[in-house]
Amino acid sequence: MKELLTPRERFGLLVIDEQQDRVPVFPLVTAHAARVAGISVRDYYTDGVAMARSQLVAQETYGTDFISFFSEVGLLAEALGSCYEYPDDDLPLLATPKWEGLPRLSAEEDRGCTHPAADPLHDGRLRVYLDAITYAYEARGDTVPILAYVPAPFTTAQQLVDQEAFLLGLLTEPERVKELLDYATRSITRFCRAIIGAGGLPILVDPLASGSVISVEHYCRFALPSEAEVIRYLHRYDLDVVLHICGDTRATVGMMPDTGADLLSVDRIGIAEAVAGAGRRCRIIGNYDTSAILLSDPTTVEREVATMVAAGRECPMGFVAATGCEVPQETPPENVRAFVRAAKEAGRNLDYGRRRK
Amino acid sequence: MPGWTDPKSARVSFDDWLELFDRVPDELIERYHYYGNNEAWSKYLFPPQMFAVYGMRHLRRLKFDNSLAALRMWGFVQNETERLFRARQTGRRVIATMGDLGAVPVIVNSYPKCVAFYPDCIWWTPFAMESRVLFDAAAELGIGDATCFSRAALGAFAKHSYFPDPDLVIASTGASCDDYSGVEQLAERFAREMLWVEVPMRCGMGPMGPMGLMLVKEYERVVEAMARLTGHELTEDELRAGIRRTNTVRKMVSRLRELAFGDAALAALEMMVIEFGNLHYYSDMDEWTAVLEHLLATAEGRTARGERMLPEDALRVVWVTPPADPLLLTYVEDAGARVVGTEYVINQALEIMDESRPPLEAIAESFMAASLIGTSKARTQSVIHQARKYEAEGVIISGILGGSHCAMEGRLIADYVKAELGLPVLEFDVTSPSREVARQIGTRIDAFLEVLRGRR
Ligand code: SF4
Repeated sequence: MKELLTPRERFGLLVIDEQQDRVPVFPLVTAHAARVAGISVRDYYTDGVAMARSQLVAQETYGTDFISFFSEVGLLAEALGSCYEYPDDDLPLLATPKWEGLPRLSAEEDRGCTHPAADPLHDGRLRVYLDAITYAYEARGDTVPILAYVPAPFTTAQQLVDQEAFLLGLLTEPERVKELLDYATRSITRFCRAIIGAGGLPILVDPLASGSVISVEHYCRFALPSEAEVIRYLHRYDLDVVLHICGDTRATVGMMPDTGADLLSVDRIGIAEAVAGAGRRCRIIGNYDTSAILLSDPTTVEREVATMVAAGRECPMGFVAATGCEVPQETPPENVRAFVRAAKEAGRNLDYGRRRK
Repeated sequence: MPGWTDPKSARVSFDDWLELFDRVPDELIERYHYYGNNEAWSKYLFPPQMFAVYGMRHLRRLKFDNSLAALRMWGFVQNETERLFRARQTGRRVIATMGDLGAVPVIVNSYPKCVAFYPDCIWWTPFAMESRVLFDAAAELGIGDATCFSRAALGAFAKHSYFPDPDLVIASTGASCDDYSGVEQLAERFAREMLWVEVPMRCGMGPMGPMGLMLVKEYERVVEAMARLTGHELTEDELRAGIRRTNTVRKMVSRLRELAFGDAALAALEMMVIEFGNLHYYSDMDEWTAVLEHLLATAEGRTARGERMLPEDALRVVWVTPPADPLLLTYVEDAGARVVGTEYVINQALEIMDESRPPLEAIAESFMAASLIGTSKARTQSVIHQARKYEAEGVIISGILGGSHCAMEGRLIADYVKAELGLPVLEFDVTSPSREVARQIGTRIDAFLEVLRGRR
């Protein structure tokens, strides 16, 4: 059945605090889109047109409310010099980080060694994203918001340095970590600017800042300020910023609004808990279990998604029915369809547009 | 402006504005708010990129004035959908006025906490978004491609997402366009309350003859409906104050027209946005007034310094009927012409009201100068006057594919202009929203400008 609103109109209402005809639906379909479109995963993340066409096919197939470009969290780190392997049928893997240990960036700069920001047009695969956004925006930008996941500084920094050295550095060399975060932030804001110029809405993704990886204290001290810095930049353009942190965010959900994010995309936390922690300051996006969407059957998915949406609709600032993290590549399409069907049905707003004489 | 100096005046691309915006200090972004509050949502000094991200795809192809005042104007205007919803959220009453283009909002805006807007102006949205979404929605309600682009307003009513459901719809009918009458009638099903206002024909008996007096009676019905809605009895002083504030806006726009048409201090695209601001001030009269002051200071400064937005030797044309596709204005200027006069069917909104008259009479009198309530010959007089004043070399009439009124009138106006001034006239219909100016239209514009060049 044709719906009254386009996804863009629906999202437009959400971000100005207005009722929508139904809850927006956003299973985080990223590389899974390549499977749906019959395109190899490697083509998906190395060819902007392939990435765009995958997403366009997936959005049309499932009837979701967003197109979202993402391959992996190393995107910015690669553009800055970390090396990745490109498996034939899987996502890029970090082969060698740019630095083994935490670099002394300010000392190097004092010696005249510069550390320029990544160039979105020439470095790594940033251009793949920009091409994909441009293509999708021309194709469907009038009706569907075009989102682009951008790895946050904390996550990017961990891809620039041997991960153990980085985590140790949080305890032993916090100043160097901060320098590294600043270095990553410069490239990230520059990339965001290019995304905006192409018609995309950047989403900040910071999985390595989740409670599954770092402590609350480290989140507050390192990850949160650098997320806030990028969000401040995006607010210069009045953009509505999504902050996505997957994994366990129970301990930090109450602090995440301090980043300035307008929408929080959460994963391993009860929706009621997320709403209680952040729902008065942010719209909540979440959070169906990605293992469940991969392994369950459509009937179970439908039932559980309906329950999730019922809880999410209690969020005073608004709710988007999503998966907690990326839809796994091998997810059966009928399970994604079941997710979308159930979320649309359970999220319907029967009062929308009622003529009020 | 602290922290900012305008670069040398120029029309710049979408990408250029992204560069320029990097130089805008945060303090300036924080400085401008609509509805006179300090909420984060009421800021509006944002670049075209922001609106493009939210779907206004056509912006990427236009050329913009590179001044801060113009950036402010674009931010303010593009923000209007959100502003109308925020109006409702902050306890204002939202009143849709339709069809008369300029008069009824003078009354509505004289009421405290009331905001008037024209759904009519949504006709630009399909072009700005390069989208058929609103036309498709209108078609589902029975009004298809054989009707003016103003049918987009019906699609917007149906969707409830382009403006809040109005508390009251005041629709003008009578001596107006058939197409828009059709749109209004179909929109009635979405109105909580609809007040029909009869607009008379101008019959050559002077503005305040029987037709003008009939209009005053109609405006009294508007006042009654507003009183019922708001519980507020409008005083004569309040209405006079509303007229004064409107005149302030109209005088500034009149001066801006002189500076643009005479001295090329502003380009045609910005001028079209400015002229249409006279309809309902983009839903915040106070802030729009401040935006106009800023634009006026910028334009006066340019003229004083001898700076121009377009070359001295650009071909001078008068434009008749606003182009639904704003890219046409960019195209014509890029091709070497500039607009030195306009007849955008809103003559009534440009008229200065007589502040010494009883207020409703003053509003009615100014409305009797309306573009669409008299003969085509009368409408042509304004074209001829401007063509003479600014030594136009040609006239461009952009019609509307499917529009009945404009389609009929274009040919007549062309004939009158040719007979009276002997100027070449180009007449074409704007087609559906698309990424570029249709090849055929582009070729015709190019050829027309060649003819004008050849006549020099
Ligand atoms: S045909 Fe002309 S007068 Fe009629 S609604 Fe369209 S633009 Fe207005």
